[in-house]
Amino acid sequence: MSLALEHLVKRYGDVRAVDDVSIEIAHGEFFTLLGPSGCGKTSTLRLIAGFETLDSGAITLDGTDIAGKPPHKRPVNTVFQSYALFPHMTVAENVAFGLRYKRVGKAEVARRVGEAMELVQLGSLAARRPGQLSGGQQQRVALARALVLEPPVLLLDEPLGALDARLRIDLQVELKRIQETLEMTFVYVTHDQDEALTMSDRVAVMKGGRVEQCDEPRVLYEAPGTAFVANFLGSSNLIPAAVTGDGLQVGEFTLRADVNGRTGDALAMIRPERVRLEPHGSAGENRVPGMVEAVVYLGFHQDVRVRLASGALVRCDVPNDGSAVEHASGDPVCVHLPADCLRVLDP
Amino acid sequence: MRRWALFAAPGMAWLAAFFLVAFYAVVAVGFGNVTDVYDPVPHWNPLEWNVGYMLQALEDIAPGGRTWPVFVRTLLYVAIAVALSLAIGYPVAYYVSRYAHGRMKALLLILLAAPFWISYLMRMFAWTNLLADGGYAATVLNALSLDALLLDGEDWLGGQHVAVVMGLVYGYVPYLILPLYASLDRIDERLIEAARDLGASSAGAFRRVVLPLSRAGTLGGIVLIALPMFGDYYTPDLMSGSPRTAMLGNTINNSVQGGPDKALGAALTLLLSAFLLVFMLYYLRELRRENAL
Amino acid sequence: MKRSRLLPAVTWIYVVWSLLPVLIAIRFAFNEGRSRTTGQGFSLRWFWTDPTLSVRNDPTLASALEHSLVLAGLSMVIAVPLGTALALGLQRWRGRGSGVSNVLMLLPLVTPELVFAVGLFLLFTSAFGFIGLGTTAQVIGHVTFSLSWVVLIVRGRLVMIGRDVEEAAADLGAPPWHVLRRVLLPLLGPALAASLLTVFALSIDDFVVAQYMASGADTTTVPMRIYASARAAPTPALNALVTIMLVLSLAALALAWVLGRGRPVEPRA
Repeated sequence: MSLALEHLVKRYGDVRAVDDVSIEIAHGEFFTLLGPSGCGKTSTLRLIAGFETLDSGAITLDGTDIAGKPPHKRPVNTVFQSYALFPHMTVAENVAFGLRYKRVGKAEVARRVGEAMELVQLGSLAARRPGQLSGGQQQRVALARALVLEPPVLLLDEPLGALDARLRIDLQVELKRIQETLEMTFVYVTHDQDEALTMSDRVAVMKGGRVEQCDEPRVLYEAPGTAFVANFLGSSNLIPAAVTGDGLQVGEFTLRADVNGRTGDALAMIRPERVRLEPHGSAGENRVPGMVEAVVYLGFHQDVRVRLASGALVRCDVPNDGSAVEHASGDPVCVHLPADCLRVLDP
Repeated sequence: MRRWALFAAPGMAWLAAFFLVAFYAVVAVGFGNVTDVYDPVPHWNPLEWNVGYMLQALEDIAPGGRTWPVFVRTLLYVAIAVALSLAIGYPVAYYVSRYAHGRMKALLLILLAAPFWISYLMRMFAWTNLLADGGYAATVLNALSLDALLLDGEDWLGGQHVAVVMGLVYGYVPYLILPLYASLDRIDERLIEAARDLGASSAGAFRRVVLPLSRAGTLGGIVLIALPMFGDYYTPDLMSGSPRTAMLGNTINNSVQGGPDKALGAALTLLLSAFLLVFMLYYLRELRRENAL
Repeated sequence: MKRSRLLPAVTWIYVVWSLLPVLIAIRFAFNEGRSRTTGQGFSLRWFWTDPTLSVRNDPTLASALEHSLVLAGLSMVIAVPLGTALALGLQRWRGRGSGVSNVLMLLPLVTPELVFAVGLFLLFTSAFGFIGLGTTAQVIGHVTFSLSWVVLIVRGRLVMIGRDVEEAAADLGAPPWHVLRRVLLPLLGPALAASLLTVFALSIDDFVVAQYMASGADTTTVPMRIYASARAAPTPALNALVTIMLVLSLAALALAWVLGRGRPVEPRA
């Protein structure tokens, strides 16, 4: 089962909430839409579910266009951020809600509800009302309620957003387990980069209604295509630079880097953990002198901020493994920006 | 979605037929004519309007006209009754919202809401028992010689301004207290603490923080009770019954329900509505804001 | 914080002043004698036993009570479904004309009762003469001014419920009619109970519209009865009538409260 989004456009008044989004999602894939609030990720999900009507574009599931169908006739199901459990029904009644429209027998309903509750480890709570459950338990009910229908594609709208940090991590692992067990296609919306990196097979980073970059988590992190993606996923140094015939010009220094055919003004991107801090005067390519401006102690590592002569600030992650030389603000140092770690991006 | 408009359709049709058209009936009768036996003949077509009754009503209600004294009396009654209601209602609402806690607060709120469950006429009727000759309240008030001070020789129920205004206050003050309470209860305690922390005295914090923040609720409450007071005729009827204490509502009621002047009564109703329009629009705005419509 | 003695004193004096007269009027209902201004022993004479003047045996009092209840019942039965549909419609409908409809829905709340009553009276005696005055006109009047209250109560609850549960139901395959029946209406339960109670209270309390729409003795309500005989009635039977009315109102309130306790927990904190 593959889900294809082709040139989706959704306008609210003059605002294009979803602006020409095209994505193809393979069967069994854990696909994440990642971005800050207002980037269009939830609108995209709601277009797939059918809660919003498309202004233009097509949504096809295995070649069949589903965009014209109302939500209750689409085979996809949703796990809501607010869980949207029916407060007047028990947990079991919630889970059984949609089976009524699947024309399955009574015994079959009982069996499938039981299985779904087992899958999310809620077997003992069948007779409770949603109001009597904790947030994590409610989240599992919401999941079971959608999973029981065995949809070809499950849509999840920030399902862990309302939970505290420790519970989130547990549930991330569990969600991934369930998805792999069932070999189900998940389309997952989140603004949390850790969630996206941990669980996803592929991630689409969205901004202003458009997809900035869509790739595997590792590629997104190590080879971000834009400054926005570099900043949104993890922290990064973005050093103003210019591409010249010799290489990458940062202030009066020329660095070697893969400029990818770019010319003119650019941003040199490097992750703080890839920056090497060396003594002042170190020789070799891609070394730039600077002065320590601040040292922030963070326990398992230190964040050393170095001001270059060009005025740019470079953050350098120094692991607290006992080998590091202690620095104080005002110390002259040299930062090594390895060529294979430098990415040249549009400003 | 169009489906939802269909849900609204029966209710909107009902309101259009029995509210909008009903109001237009007042216009049609007010600008209409009468038969030889004084039955009103409404003129539904604006092109056929007869302005005679409206001019008559305007003349009546203008200074020197025969309804002018009633109009002035109504204004005075309402103004005094609203002022007294505020003087009673504000401290009560303030005390319950700020100083009452737990079960005491719950009990007080139930007691404040209790009058809503006793019909207005019932509550007025209770006072006619008390103020009648020999009634408990009349006996106490006479023992305090208040009759000599406030009455003009007649009984308490014998056409006294005091009795009518007291009746209005008694009848309407519960409707003022609840919105006042709601607006005072919404004020965050910490704002008052912040004001005190910044150097305001207790009275200063009240004047500079509480009072401005409760302004909307106060105005809303005033409009809420002033509007029905302007259309009231039963309170003066029960508490006095004398033409000496008649309000505008009595004049309209007498024309429309009893006398031969239905067209004139309709014209007067229109003038009253026009006079109250500002209050109605203010209240409408408050309702829309509160219910986020 | 320093506490003033004045505020609690004013509050309690007000509470006593607002309720004591009614309690005294109820006390007189149990008088043995004919006085409505002083207490005279205890009896059920004016409720039940007096052969001609008690509420039970005076047809004018008994029928007023019955008529008030009939009006309240009919108003509830019509206003609550009509208002609920209107609330659902107005809450969801965002097209041409919805703004005007929202304002029209609120107008009855801000219009003085007398103006509305005069209008309806003139309408039913002219263009809508086929309806005429009487019980039908009284019910129409009560439904019209109750409708806005029902809409406000139901819409408030709709906002609280949110759209999520409706979307969830549709997402799980429920067609629109099932979303309404299986999810929305059960969740609106408390609002419907509150609406029924409010319409009951408004109808029972109303005097002006009932009086303007009345067509004779058999359309007299309790407040109209009070108005007609408060200054004239020679016996505490009127007090007894008032007492019965009050007990019925409180019973309705208590019933609603008991029913309301069995309701499901709120969807979200």
